[in-house]
Amino acid sequence: MADTAQKPTGETVEIEENLKEKLGSKILELKVPRNRRIFVSVEKTAFREAAEYLTKNLEFKHISTITGRDAVGQTEVIYHLNRGGVELSLKVQVPSEEATLPTVTDLIPGAILYEREVHDLLGVEFKDHPDLSPLILPDDWPKGVYPLKKEWTTEKIRQKLAGPEEK
Amino acid sequence: MSEATFQVPVGPQHPALKEAPENFMFSIDGETVVDVKARIGYNHRGIEKAAESRSYIQNIYLVERVCGICSIAHVATYTPAVEEALNLEIPPRAKYIRTIIYELNRIASHYLWLGLAGHEIGFDTLFMYLWRDREIALNILEQITGNRVTYAAFTIGGVRRDISSEMAEKAKNGLSILEERMKYYKKLCLNEPTVLKRAVGVGILKPQDAITLCAVGPLLRASGVKSDVRADDPYLVYDEVPFYVVTYGGCDVASRVLVRCDETLVSIGIIKHALDRLPESPIRVKAPRIVPPAEVVSRTEAPRGELIYYLRSNGTDKPDRLKIRTPTLANIPSVCKSLIGGYLADIPIVLAAADPCFTCTDRMAFVNVSNGKRWVWTHEQLRRYSMKWHQQN
Repeated sequence: MADTAQKPTGETVEIEENLKEKLGSKILELKVPRNRRIFVSVEKTAFREAAEYLTKNLEFKHISTITGRDAVGQTEVIYHLNRGGVELSLKVQVPSEEATLPTVTDLIPGAILYEREVHDLLGVEFKDHPDLSPLILPDDWPKGVYPLKKEWTTEKIRQKLAGPEEK
Repeated sequence: MSEATFQVPVGPQHPALKEAPENFMFSIDGETVVDVKARIGYNHRGIEKAAESRSYIQNIYLVERVCGICSIAHVATYTPAVEEALNLEIPPRAKYIRTIIYELNRIASHYLWLGLAGHEIGFDTLFMYLWRDREIALNILEQITGNRVTYAAFTIGGVRRDISSEMAEKAKNGLSILEERMKYYKKLCLNEPTVLKRAVGVGILKPQDAITLCAVGPLLRASGVKSDVRADDPYLVYDEVPFYVVTYGGCDVASRVLVRCDETLVSIGIIKHALDRLPESPIRVKAPRIVPPAEVVSRTEAPRGELIYYLRSNGTDKPDRLKIRTPTLANIPSVCKSLIGGYLADIPIVLAAADPCFTCTDRMAFVNVSNGKRWVWTHEQLRRYSMKWHQQN
């Protein structure tokens, strides 16, 4: 919101500076829209390093959730990490054709269900995740149908589930 | 799975709450739970997908239906996200009214939960009393918003209904009764042998596990961890009203009961304070229908814990992506952890103690680890087993 009380101060600025110093050139974009909100995008190759730095060095121990978003040809995965009141969103894009990312469950065990959710809905493979079995979707869900992809409109999903004879 | 364990599937009828199906696969060794696996999704309604094809205004009413108990929490997290993307400041009176309605919703939710906890341990008198008193909170909400469940009170840019001074007086009278009653229930929970026997030392979740598994809300605070979005990341007028974060160190069901008792009292204090200081201003500002490209993370402390929305707008009247993470999903790994090592008969109350709300997120099957025998129980069967077991032991 627009009021001045929302200007980034103290802890938020400190984290921002730490990020610039430590990750520097690996950061594609760094945004601090207001106090206690940070958005940082990194290359896929630098993702694991960034995740380790944030969780180990900057002590972001809590993961609020993981958002998956279909970004035309690319799949964006956003890790919403939290420390105290500061919510940091670590963004990384992977090609939708080959959507793989290393798991963060070894760094934050609380991420286990969130990774499964993104795997269900957008087909991102999390390497070394202990169990990527369906969490939300039914066991007999057709392969290759990822409901949150833009190409899978509600109508198209309905048709697919109704079976070929009703197409 | 060793030869000595027995698998018990529980669900998809919820072991504690009737409205929502999910499945827990319990591995048991005699009476002791050795492993739990949760399976959700039986009620997945595709709300995030639906939100992408609705306008921002339509989405207010969609997200309000994510949860029937804490509907306000969803709207109160969604609307600020849109307002932040619009760079829109809502009038101070609207902020106060939103806070009042949010806290009333928390009171109604905590009263509901305490009643259900009573029911789970076979103390139905407590259930009846609490649900009777909960009506007071619902009546206040009905008076203010016109509705008892989905309130439709918020809109982008403010609130839709004002609180008159008469309404405020009536609300305060109701709150005084709720306060007195909750103090009595807290005393009762601390002294009543039925409650103590079923709650103390049951469903242990150590603080370290709660943090590692990213627990949220009363479940986390009952493990002694001071974490509350209202205090850590203040929104609305939580940086103006006096309140404190309730924590208990028992790490068990009893602490979870007490956290909610005290939180109800804290909420009553917040509402009374806010009702006395309602600033004079309009209650809403006009908001544009088209939202410029932006991305916003909005968090609030729902009755069940941290609720987070991620919104990405694309310059149209519909969101590009709306991600919702409800507190129940966040608490599943911790609840599974707190069930391990406990008794089969304690499953209903431990599950209920996290106040899971699977309409927000999403039955039970059992497997005996000694002979691999499987059977399915409904919640009612499990609850009856639980009460019988506790009478005999």
